[in-house]
Amino acid sequence: MARPSHPQAMTPHRPGSTRTAAPQVPDDFWTRRRMLTYLLFDATGLPYMLVGLLALRVAFALGRGPEAWARLMQDFSHPLYVAFHVLALIAAVFVGVRFFRLFPKAQPPRIGPAKPPPGLLIHAGLYAAWLGLTLVLLIVLGGLWP
Amino acid sequence: MAADSGEMRKRTFVVTRFDPDKDEAPRTVTYDVACRPDWKVLDALNHIKDEIDPTLSHRWSCRMAVCGSCGMNVNGEPKLTCKTALSDYGDVVEVAPLANFPIVRDLVIEMDGFMEKFQSVKPWVIVAKEKAAEQGTYSQTPEELAAYKQFSMCINCMLCYAACPVVAKEPHFLGPAAIALGHRYNMDSRDEGAAERNEVFRGEGSVFHCSYANECSEVCPKGVDPAAAVNQAKLLAVVDWAGSFVVERKR
Amino acid sequence: MKTLLLRLEPVIWLLFGAGIMVGTMLLPGYLLTVGLGAPLGLLPEGALGYERAHAIASNPIGRLVLLGIIALPLWKGAHHLRALFADWLGHGPDGLIGSLLYAVAAVGSLLGIYAVLTL
Repeated sequence: MARPSHPQAMTPHRPGSTRTAAPQVPDDFWTRRRMLTYLLFDATGLPYMLVGLLALRVAFALGRGPEAWARLMQDFSHPLYVAFHVLALIAAVFVGVRFFRLFPKAQPPRIGPAKPPPGLLIHAGLYAAWLGLTLVLLIVLGGLWP
Repeated sequence: MAADSGEMRKRTFVVTRFDPDKDEAPRTVTYDVACRPDWKVLDALNHIKDEIDPTLSHRWSCRMAVCGSCGMNVNGEPKLTCKTALSDYGDVVEVAPLANFPIVRDLVIEMDGFMEKFQSVKPWVIVAKEKAAEQGTYSQTPEELAAYKQFSMCINCMLCYAACPVVAKEPHFLGPAAIALGHRYNMDSRDEGAAERNEVFRGEGSVFHCSYANECSEVCPKGVDPAAAVNQAKLLAVVDWAGSFVVERKR
Repeated sequence: MKTLLLRLEPVIWLLFGAGIMVGTMLLPGYLLTVGLGAPLGLLPEGALGYERAHAIASNPIGRLVLLGIIALPLWKGAHHLRALFADWLGHGPDGLIGSLLYAVAAVGSLLGIYAVLTL
Protein backbone atom coordinates (compact mmCIF):
# COMPACT_ATOMS: atom_id res chain seq x y z
CA MET A 1 0.00 0.00 0.00
CA ALA A 2 2.65 2.46 1.02
CA ARG A 3 6.38 2.68 1.54
CA PRO A 4 8.32 5.08 3.77
CA SER A 5 9.59 8.50 2.71
CA HIS A 6 12.56 9.97 4.51
CA PRO A 7 11.73 9.48 8.24
CA GLN A 8 12.00 13.23 8.83
CA ALA A 9 10.20 14.34 5.66
CA MET A 10 8.17 17.52 6.35
CA THR A 11 8.70 17.01 10.11
CA PRO A 12 8.52 20.19 12.21
CA HIS A 13 11.42 21.11 14.48
CA ARG A 14 9.01 21.32 17.39
CA PRO A 15 7.00 18.08 17.42
CA GLY A 16 3.26 18.11 18.12
CA SER A 17 1.68 16.81 21.28
CA THR A 18 0.64 13.41 19.87
CA ARG A 19 2.62 10.57 18.36
CA THR A 20 2.68 10.68 14.55
CA ALA A 21 3.17 7.89 12.03
CA ALA A 22 6.12 8.10 9.66
CA PRO A 23 5.71 9.92 6.33
CA GLN A 24 4.98 7.57 3.46
CA VAL A 25 4.56 7.48 -0.30
CA PRO A 26 2.26 5.22 -2.35
CA ASP A 27 3.81 1.93 -3.50
CA ASP A 28 3.85 3.15 -7.10
CA PHE A 29 5.28 6.62 -6.33
CA TRP A 30 8.58 5.86 -8.06
CA THR A 31 7.12 3.66 -10.80
CA ARG A 32 4.28 5.78 -12.13
CA ARG A 33 4.78 6.66 -15.79
CA ARG A 34 5.34 10.37 -15.21
CA MET A 35 7.90 9.70 -12.50
CA LEU A 36 9.68 7.08 -14.61
CA THR A 37 9.92 9.58 -17.46
CA TYR A 38 11.56 12.08 -15.13
CA LEU A 39 13.95 9.42 -13.74
CA LEU A 40 14.85 8.48 -17.31
CA PHE A 41 15.54 12.15 -17.99
CA ASP A 42 17.99 12.19 -15.09
CA ALA A 43 19.47 8.86 -16.22
CA THR A 44 20.47 10.40 -19.56
CA GLY A 45 23.25 11.89 -17.49
CA LEU A 46 25.13 8.62 -17.97
CA PRO A 47 25.23 8.60 -21.80
CA TYR A 48 26.03 12.32 -21.67
CA MET A 49 29.05 11.79 -19.43
CA LEU A 50 30.23 8.87 -21.56
CA VAL A 51 29.87 10.95 -24.73
CA GLY A 52 31.98 13.65 -23.14
CA LEU A 53 34.68 11.16 -22.16
CA LEU A 54 34.64 9.56 -25.62
CA ALA A 55 34.91 13.02 -27.20
CA LEU A 56 38.01 13.45 -25.06
CA ARG A 57 39.38 10.31 -26.70
CA VAL A 58 38.49 11.81 -30.09
CA ALA A 59 40.48 14.94 -29.28
CA PHE A 60 43.50 12.97 -28.07
CA ALA A 61 43.39 10.71 -31.14
CA LEU A 62 43.39 13.75 -33.42
CA GLY A 63 46.41 15.06 -31.56
CA ARG A 64 48.30 11.78 -31.83
CA GLY A 65 48.09 11.22 -35.56
CA PRO A 66 46.53 9.19 -38.44
CA GLU A 67 47.11 5.74 -36.90
CA ALA A 68 45.41 6.72 -33.63
CA TRP A 69 42.52 8.19 -35.61
CA ALA A 70 42.17 5.06 -37.75
CA ARG A 71 42.16 2.90 -34.62
CA LEU A 72 39.48 5.11 -33.09
CA MET A 73 37.25 4.89 -36.17
CA GLN A 74 37.81 1.13 -36.18
CA ASP A 75 36.68 0.93 -32.54
CA PHE A 76 33.67 3.17 -33.20
CA SER A 77 32.51 0.82 -35.96
CA HIS A 78 32.15 -1.99 -33.42
CA PRO A 79 28.45 -2.83 -32.82
CA LEU A 80 28.64 -1.92 -29.12
CA TYR A 81 29.97 1.56 -29.88
CA VAL A 82 27.39 1.99 -32.66
CA ALA A 83 24.61 0.97 -30.27
CA PHE A 84 25.94 3.39 -27.66
CA HIS A 85 26.09 6.31 -30.07
CA VAL A 86 22.53 5.57 -31.24
CA LEU A 87 21.43 5.47 -27.59
CA ALA A 88 23.21 8.76 -26.94
CA LEU A 89 21.47 10.29 -29.94
CA ILE A 90 18.06 9.20 -28.65
CA ALA A 91 18.99 10.52 -25.22
CA ALA A 92 19.99 13.91 -26.64
CA VAL A 93 16.72 14.23 -28.56
CA PHE A 94 14.69 13.16 -25.50
CA VAL A 95 16.53 15.69 -23.32
CA GLY A 96 16.15 18.43 -25.93
CA VAL A 97 12.41 17.97 -26.33
CA ARG A 98 11.76 17.92 -22.58
CA PHE A 99 14.20 20.70 -21.71
CA PHE A 100 13.07 23.05 -24.51
CA ARG A 101 9.48 22.63 -23.33
CA LEU A 102 10.34 23.51 -19.73
CA PHE A 103 12.99 26.19 -20.35
CA PRO A 104 10.65 29.06 -21.38
CA LYS A 105 8.65 28.59 -18.18
CA ALA A 106 11.84 28.90 -16.14
CA GLN A 107 12.44 32.48 -17.29
CA PRO A 108 11.44 35.03 -14.61
CA PRO A 109 9.00 37.75 -15.75
CA ARG A 110 11.80 40.22 -15.21
CA ILE A 111 15.39 40.40 -13.97
CA GLY A 112 15.73 43.99 -12.79
CA PRO A 113 14.45 45.98 -15.75
CA ALA A 114 15.05 43.23 -18.33
CA LYS A 115 12.13 41.15 -19.58
CA PRO A 116 12.33 37.88 -21.50
CA PRO A 117 10.77 37.42 -24.96
CA PRO A 118 7.41 35.59 -25.10
CA GLY A 119 7.62 31.90 -24.18
CA LEU A 120 6.53 30.72 -27.63
CA LEU A 121 9.30 32.75 -29.23
CA ILE A 122 11.88 31.25 -26.89
CA HIS A 123 10.60 27.74 -27.60
CA ALA A 124 10.74 28.29 -31.37
CA GLY A 125 14.14 29.95 -31.09
CA LEU A 126 15.57 26.98 -29.20
CA TYR A 127 14.41 24.57 -31.89
CA ALA A 128 15.72 26.88 -34.62
CA ALA A 129 19.13 27.04 -32.96
CA TRP A 130 19.12 23.27 -32.45
CA LEU A 131 18.28 22.60 -36.07
CA GLY A 132 20.74 25.24 -37.26
CA LEU A 133 23.66 23.89 -35.26
CA THR A 134 22.85 20.33 -36.29
CA LEU A 135 22.80 21.31 -39.97
CA VAL A 136 26.06 23.22 -39.68
CA LEU A 137 27.75 20.24 -38.03
CA LEU A 138 26.31 17.81 -40.60
CA ILE A 139 27.51 20.00 -43.45
CA VAL A 140 30.99 20.66 -42.08
CA LEU A 141 31.70 17.28 -40.50
CA GLY A 142 29.79 15.44 -43.21
CA GLY A 143 32.21 16.66 -45.84
CA LEU A 144 29.87 18.91 -47.81
CA TRP A 145 31.72 22.16 -47.04
CA PRO A 146 34.44 23.38 -46.92
CA MET B 1 -17.20 9.68 -18.44
CA ALA B 2 -19.99 12.20 -17.81
CA ALA B 3 -21.99 11.72 -14.63
CA ASP B 4 -24.80 9.23 -15.14
CA SER B 5 -28.38 10.27 -14.64
CA GLY B 6 -29.37 9.22 -11.13
CA GLU B 7 -27.72 5.77 -11.03
CA MET B 8 -26.22 4.90 -7.67
CA ARG B 9 -23.04 2.86 -7.84
CA LYS B 10 -21.44 0.76 -5.14
CA ARG B 11 -17.76 1.50 -4.72
CA THR B 12 -15.22 0.07 -2.33
CA PHE B 13 -13.09 2.57 -0.41
CA VAL B 14 -9.78 1.39 1.01
CA VAL B 15 -9.07 4.04 3.61
CA THR B 16 -5.91 4.47 5.67
CA ARG B 17 -6.65 4.49 9.38
CA PHE B 18 -4.28 5.33 12.20
CA ASP B 19 -5.03 5.90 15.88
CA PRO B 20 -1.82 6.96 17.67
CA ASP B 21 -3.20 5.65 20.97
CA LYS B 22 -4.02 2.19 19.65
CA ASP B 23 -2.13 1.50 16.38
CA GLU B 24 1.53 0.66 15.98
CA ALA B 25 1.41 1.80 12.36
CA PRO B 26 -1.18 2.92 9.80
CA ARG B 27 -3.49 0.20 8.46
CA THR B 28 -6.31 0.15 5.91
CA VAL B 29 -10.02 -0.39 6.45
CA THR B 30 -12.44 -1.17 3.62
CA TYR B 31 -15.83 0.51 3.34
CA ASP B 32 -18.52 -0.24 0.73
CA VAL B 33 -20.48 2.87 -0.15
CA ALA B 34 -23.45 3.36 -2.48
CA CYS B 35 -22.33 6.50 -4.27
CA ARG B 36 -24.44 9.07 -6.09
CA PRO B 37 -23.26 9.73 -9.63
CA ASP B 38 -22.22 13.33 -8.98
CA TRP B 39 -20.28 12.66 -5.78
CA LYS B 40 -16.73 13.71 -5.14
CA VAL B 41 -14.35 11.64 -3.00
CA LEU B 42 -15.09 14.00 -0.10
CA ASP B 43 -18.80 13.21 -0.28
CA ALA B 44 -18.00 9.52 0.13
CA LEU B 45 -15.68 10.23 3.07
CA ASN B 46 -18.34 12.36 4.76
CA HIS B 47 -20.89 9.60 4.14
CA ILE B 48 -18.54 7.06 5.74
CA LYS B 49 -18.10 9.28 8.79
CA ASP B 50 -21.79 10.18 9.07
CA GLU B 51 -23.35 6.77 8.39
CA ILE B 52 -20.76 3.99 8.75
CA ASP B 53 -17.78 4.83 10.94
CA PRO B 54 -17.88 8.02 13.03
CA THR B 55 -14.27 7.51 14.19
CA LEU B 56 -12.88 8.49 10.78
CA SER B 57 -10.95 11.80 10.87
CA HIS B 58 -10.33 13.90 7.81
CA ARG B 59 -9.83 17.58 7.01
CA TRP B 60 -12.15 19.57 4.77
CA SER B 61 -13.86 22.94 4.74
CA CYS B 62 -14.99 24.94 1.73
CA ARG B 63 -16.04 22.08 -0.58
CA MET B 64 -15.03 24.23 -3.55
CA ALA B 65 -11.25 23.94 -3.93
CA VAL B 66 -10.26 27.30 -2.47
CA CYS B 67 -9.34 26.54 1.13
CA GLY B 68 -6.73 23.84 0.53
CA SER B 69 -7.82 21.71 3.52
CA CYS B 70 -8.86 18.44 1.88
CA GLY B 71 -5.64 17.29 0.20
CA MET B 72 -5.18 13.50 0.25
CA ASN B 73 -3.65 10.75 -1.89
CA VAL B 74 -6.39 9.14 -4.00
CA ASN B 75 -5.27 5.99 -5.84
CA GLY B 76 -1.71 7.14 -5.32
CA GLU B 77 -2.16 10.65 -6.73
CA PRO B 78 -2.38 13.82 -4.58
CA LYS B 79 -5.82 15.35 -5.00
CA LEU B 80 -8.24 17.81 -3.42
CA THR B 81 -10.96 15.38 -2.44
CA CYS B 82 -13.68 18.03 -2.77
CA LYS B 83 -12.74 18.46 -6.41
CA THR B 84 -12.14 14.83 -7.39
CA ALA B 85 -15.14 13.21 -9.07
CA LEU B 86 -15.81 9.55 -8.30
CA SER B 87 -16.99 9.09 -11.88
CA ASP B 88 -13.30 9.24 -12.87
CA TYR B 89 -12.63 6.08 -10.85
CA GLY B 90 -13.58 2.43 -10.96
CA ASP B 91 -14.90 0.09 -8.29
CA VAL B 92 -12.02 0.50 -5.86
CA VAL B 93 -10.84 3.86 -4.55
CA GLU B 94 -7.84 4.06 -2.22
CA VAL B 95 -7.75 7.09 0.04
CA ALA B 96 -4.55 7.73 1.96
CA PRO B 97 -3.20 10.74 3.85
CA LEU B 98 -1.07 13.19 1.88
CA ALA B 99 2.27 11.60 1.07
CA ASN B 100 5.56 12.80 2.61
CA PHE B 101 3.95 14.23 5.77
CA PRO B 102 3.93 12.74 9.28
CA ILE B 103 0.48 11.29 9.95
CA VAL B 104 -1.39 12.63 12.98
CA ARG B 105 -4.47 10.43 12.69
CA ASP B 106 -6.27 8.64 9.83
CA LEU B 107 -6.22 11.06 6.88
CA VAL B 108 -4.96 14.04 8.87
CA ILE B 109 -1.30 15.02 8.45
CA GLU B 110 1.08 17.17 10.49
CA MET B 111 1.21 20.58 8.78
CA ASP B 112 3.70 22.39 10.99
CA GLY B 113 6.68 21.27 8.92
CA PHE B 114 5.23 23.13 5.96
CA MET B 115 4.39 26.19 8.09
CA GLU B 116 8.01 26.37 9.25
CA LYS B 117 9.38 26.26 5.71
CA PHE B 118 6.73 28.70 4.56
CA GLN B 119 7.54 31.26 7.25
CA SER B 120 11.26 30.95 6.61
CA VAL B 121 10.87 32.56 3.17
CA LYS B 122 9.24 35.66 4.72
CA PRO B 123 6.02 35.57 2.69
CA TRP B 124 5.06 39.22 3.12
CA VAL B 125 5.93 42.52 1.45
CA ILE B 126 9.20 43.75 2.92
CA VAL B 127 9.88 47.47 2.65
CA ALA B 128 12.67 49.39 4.31
CA LYS B 129 10.33 52.23 5.20
CA GLU B 130 6.56 51.90 5.14
CA LYS B 131 4.68 54.54 3.18
CA ALA B 132 2.86 57.00 5.46
CA ALA B 133 -0.93 56.76 5.23
CA GLU B 134 -1.17 60.28 3.80
CA GLN B 135 0.99 59.24 0.82
CA GLY B 136 -1.77 56.90 -0.31
CA THR B 137 -1.74 53.28 -1.41
CA TYR B 138 0.88 51.39 -3.40
CA SER B 139 0.00 51.30 -7.10
CA GLN B 140 0.83 48.62 -9.60
CA THR B 141 0.45 48.49 -13.34
CA PRO B 142 -1.27 45.44 -14.84
CA GLU B 143 2.18 44.33 -16.03
CA GLU B 144 3.63 44.56 -12.51
CA LEU B 145 0.70 42.50 -11.24
CA ALA B 146 1.13 39.92 -13.97
CA ALA B 147 4.73 39.35 -12.89
CA TYR B 148 3.63 37.57 -9.70
CA LYS B 149 -0.11 36.98 -9.88
CA GLN B 150 0.06 33.34 -10.99
CA PHE B 151 2.22 32.44 -7.98
CA SER B 152 -0.12 34.23 -5.58
CA MET B 153 -2.88 31.76 -6.46
CA CYS B 154 -1.41 29.13 -4.13
CA ILE B 155 -3.94 27.89 -1.57
CA ASN B 156 -1.32 26.07 0.55
CA CYS B 157 -2.98 22.72 -0.11
CA MET B 158 0.42 20.98 -0.09
CA LEU B 159 -0.41 18.55 -2.90
CA CYS B 160 2.90 19.61 -4.47
CA TYR B 161 4.81 18.36 -1.42
CA ALA B 162 3.08 15.00 -1.71
CA ALA B 163 4.17 14.72 -5.34
CA CYS B 164 7.77 15.96 -5.10
CA PRO B 165 10.50 13.26 -5.24
CA VAL B 166 12.97 15.58 -3.51
CA VAL B 167 10.61 16.25 -0.58
CA ALA B 168 10.38 12.47 -0.23
CA LYS B 169 14.15 12.19 0.25
CA GLU B 170 15.56 15.53 1.48
CA PRO B 171 13.95 16.81 4.70
CA HIS B 172 15.60 20.25 4.52
CA PHE B 173 14.31 21.15 1.05
CA LEU B 174 11.99 24.17 1.24
CA GLY B 175 9.64 22.57 -1.24
CA PRO B 176 7.51 23.83 -4.13
CA ALA B 177 4.86 25.99 -2.43
CA ALA B 178 7.21 27.75 0.00
CA ILE B 179 9.63 28.62 -2.80
CA ALA B 180 6.83 29.66 -5.16
CA LEU B 181 5.43 31.99 -2.50
CA GLY B 182 8.82 33.45 -1.68
CA HIS B 183 9.34 33.98 -5.40
CA ARG B 184 5.89 35.62 -5.58
CA TYR B 185 7.15 38.32 -3.21
CA ASN B 186 10.49 38.64 -4.98
CA MET B 187 8.56 39.43 -8.18
CA ASP B 188 6.25 41.92 -6.43
CA SER B 189 7.20 45.48 -7.38
CA ARG B 190 6.28 46.74 -3.91
CA ASP B 191 8.77 44.39 -2.24
CA GLU B 192 12.38 45.20 -1.30
CA GLY B 193 13.27 41.94 0.45
CA ALA B 194 14.65 39.84 -2.42
CA ALA B 195 18.19 39.79 -1.02
CA GLU B 196 16.97 38.31 2.27
CA ARG B 197 14.84 35.69 0.57
CA ASN B 198 17.60 34.74 -1.87
CA GLU B 199 19.86 33.98 1.08
CA VAL B 200 17.21 31.58 2.35
CA PHE B 201 16.92 30.19 -1.20
CA ARG B 202 20.66 29.46 -1.25
CA GLY B 203 20.73 28.12 2.30
CA GLU B 204 20.15 24.64 3.65
CA GLY B 205 16.68 24.42 2.14
CA SER B 206 18.27 25.32 -1.18
CA VAL B 207 16.17 25.85 -4.29
CA PHE B 208 18.96 23.99 -6.08
CA HIS B 209 17.83 20.72 -4.51
CA CYS B 210 15.01 20.83 -7.07
CA SER B 211 15.72 18.64 -10.10
CA TYR B 212 12.76 19.91 -12.19
CA ALA B 213 10.76 16.71 -12.00
CA ASN B 214 7.74 18.97 -12.61
CA GLU B 215 5.54 16.66 -10.51
CA CYS B 216 4.46 19.60 -8.35
CA SER B 217 3.05 21.51 -11.30
CA GLU B 218 1.32 18.40 -12.61
CA VAL B 219 -0.72 18.03 -9.40
CA CYS B 220 -1.30 21.70 -8.52
CA PRO B 221 -5.07 22.30 -8.55
CA LYS B 222 -4.74 26.08 -9.02
CA GLY B 223 -2.37 26.29 -12.00
CA VAL B 224 0.36 27.96 -9.95
CA ASP B 225 3.12 26.06 -11.78
CA PRO B 226 5.44 25.93 -8.75
CA ALA B 227 8.09 24.15 -10.81
CA ALA B 228 8.38 27.24 -12.97
CA ALA B 229 8.60 29.40 -9.85
CA VAL B 230 11.36 27.28 -8.31
CA ASN B 231 13.40 27.28 -11.50
CA GLN B 232 12.90 31.00 -12.04
CA ALA B 233 14.03 31.42 -8.44
CA LYS B 234 17.23 29.49 -9.20
CA LEU B 235 18.22 31.96 -11.90
CA LEU B 236 17.39 34.95 -9.71
CA ALA B 237 19.28 33.43 -6.78
CA VAL B 238 22.35 33.05 -9.01
CA VAL B 239 22.02 36.63 -10.29
CA ASP B 240 21.68 37.82 -6.69
CA TRP B 241 24.71 35.73 -5.68
CA ALA B 242 26.80 37.15 -8.51
CA GLY B 243 25.62 40.66 -7.73
CA SER B 244 26.63 40.31 -4.09
CA PHE B 245 30.27 40.22 -5.17
CA VAL B 246 29.89 43.47 -7.07
CA VAL B 247 27.60 45.55 -4.91
CA GLU B 248 28.05 46.04 -1.18
CA ARG B 249 25.05 44.57 0.63
CA LYS B 250 23.19 46.88 3.02
CA ARG B 251 21.48 45.02 5.84
CA MET C 1 31.47 18.31 1.69
CA LYS C 2 27.80 19.14 1.70
CA THR C 3 28.40 22.73 2.78
CA LEU C 4 31.10 23.14 0.14
CA LEU C 5 28.72 21.92 -2.53
CA LEU C 6 25.98 24.20 -1.20
CA ARG C 7 28.26 27.21 -1.57
CA LEU C 8 29.31 26.19 -5.08
CA GLU C 9 25.75 25.41 -6.23
CA PRO C 10 25.28 28.62 -8.25
CA VAL C 11 28.43 27.92 -10.30
CA ILE C 12 27.58 24.24 -10.71
CA TRP C 13 24.08 25.13 -11.82
CA LEU C 14 25.37 27.60 -14.42
CA LEU C 15 27.74 24.96 -15.82
CA PHE C 16 24.90 22.45 -15.86
CA GLY C 17 22.63 24.99 -17.61
CA ALA C 18 25.21 25.64 -20.32
CA GLY C 19 25.75 21.90 -20.58
CA ILE C 20 22.16 20.95 -21.12
CA MET C 21 21.45 23.85 -23.46
CA VAL C 22 24.48 24.00 -25.74
CA GLY C 23 25.57 20.40 -25.17
CA THR C 24 22.22 19.03 -26.31
CA MET C 25 22.26 21.28 -29.38
CA LEU C 26 25.71 20.08 -30.43
CA LEU C 27 25.28 16.37 -29.80
CA PRO C 28 23.03 15.19 -32.66
CA GLY C 29 25.24 16.70 -35.40
CA TYR C 30 28.40 15.35 -33.77
CA LEU C 31 26.95 11.90 -33.04
CA LEU C 32 25.54 11.48 -36.55
CA THR C 33 28.93 12.20 -38.15
CA VAL C 34 31.80 11.41 -35.80
CA GLY C 35 29.90 8.80 -33.82
CA LEU C 36 28.10 6.97 -36.61
CA GLY C 37 28.63 8.37 -40.12
CA ALA C 38 32.41 8.17 -40.31
CA PRO C 39 32.97 4.82 -38.52
CA LEU C 40 30.26 3.16 -40.63
CA GLY C 41 31.62 4.59 -43.87
CA LEU C 42 28.44 6.52 -44.63
CA LEU C 43 30.18 9.84 -45.30
CA PRO C 44 31.71 10.97 -48.58
CA GLU C 45 35.34 9.89 -49.17
CA GLY C 46 37.74 11.70 -46.87
CA ALA C 47 35.05 13.75 -45.10
CA LEU C 48 36.35 12.75 -41.69
CA GLY C 49 39.59 11.17 -42.75
CA TYR C 50 42.46 12.19 -40.48
CA GLU C 51 43.64 15.14 -42.57
CA ARG C 52 40.29 16.87 -42.86
CA ALA C 53 39.17 16.00 -39.33
CA HIS C 54 42.39 17.39 -37.91
CA ALA C 55 42.11 20.52 -40.03
CA ILE C 56 38.57 21.19 -38.83
CA ALA C 57 39.43 20.53 -35.22
CA SER C 58 42.54 22.74 -35.35
CA ASN C 59 40.50 25.70 -36.48
CA PRO C 60 39.88 28.02 -33.48
CA ILE C 61 36.13 27.51 -33.77
CA GLY C 62 36.68 23.79 -34.19
CA ARG C 63 38.73 23.65 -30.98
CA LEU C 64 35.98 25.51 -29.12
CA VAL C 65 33.23 23.25 -30.44
CA LEU C 66 35.23 20.12 -29.65
CA LEU C 67 35.91 21.40 -26.13
CA GLY C 68 32.18 22.11 -25.82
CA ILE C 69 31.33 18.54 -26.80
CA ILE C 70 33.79 17.25 -24.21
CA ALA C 71 33.01 19.52 -21.27
CA LEU C 72 29.36 20.50 -21.56
CA PRO C 73 27.85 16.98 -21.56
CA LEU C 74 30.12 16.13 -18.60
CA TRP C 75 28.62 18.88 -16.43
CA LYS C 76 25.05 18.15 -17.54
CA GLY C 77 25.58 14.44 -16.93
CA ALA C 78 27.24 14.89 -13.55
CA HIS C 79 24.42 17.11 -12.29
CA HIS C 80 21.65 14.80 -13.47
CA LEU C 81 23.34 11.63 -12.22
CA ARG C 82 23.74 13.34 -8.86
CA ALA C 83 19.97 14.02 -8.81
CA LEU C 84 19.27 10.41 -9.80
CA PHE C 85 21.45 9.09 -6.97
CA ALA C 86 19.76 11.47 -4.55
CA ASP C 87 16.34 10.17 -5.61
CA TRP C 88 17.59 6.61 -5.14
CA LEU C 89 19.85 6.79 -2.10
CA GLY C 90 18.54 9.91 -0.37
CA HIS C 91 20.53 13.01 0.46
CA GLY C 92 22.86 11.40 3.02
CA PRO C 93 25.54 10.34 0.52
CA ASP C 94 24.77 13.32 -1.71
CA GLY C 95 27.80 15.32 -0.62
CA LEU C 96 30.19 12.52 -1.49
CA ILE C 97 28.47 11.38 -4.68
CA GLY C 98 28.03 14.92 -5.96
CA SER C 99 31.65 15.77 -5.29
CA LEU C 100 32.86 12.65 -7.11
CA LEU C 101 30.70 13.31 -10.15
CA TYR C 102 31.67 16.99 -10.39
CA ALA C 103 35.32 16.01 -9.92
CA VAL C 104 35.06 13.77 -12.99
CA ALA C 105 33.44 16.62 -14.92
CA ALA C 106 36.12 19.06 -13.78
CA VAL C 107 39.03 16.75 -14.57
CA GLY C 108 37.47 15.88 -17.92
CA SER C 109 37.05 19.55 -18.75
CA LEU C 110 40.65 20.34 -17.85
CA LEU C 111 41.92 17.40 -19.89
CA GLY C 112 39.69 18.62 -22.70
CA ILE C 113 41.33 22.03 -22.62
CA TYR C 114 44.73 20.36 -22.76
CA ALA C 115 43.65 18.05 -25.58
CA VAL C 116 42.26 20.78 -27.85
CA LEU C 117 45.28 23.00 -27.23
CA THR C 118 47.71 20.23 -28.19
CA LEU C 119 45.87 18.99 -31.30
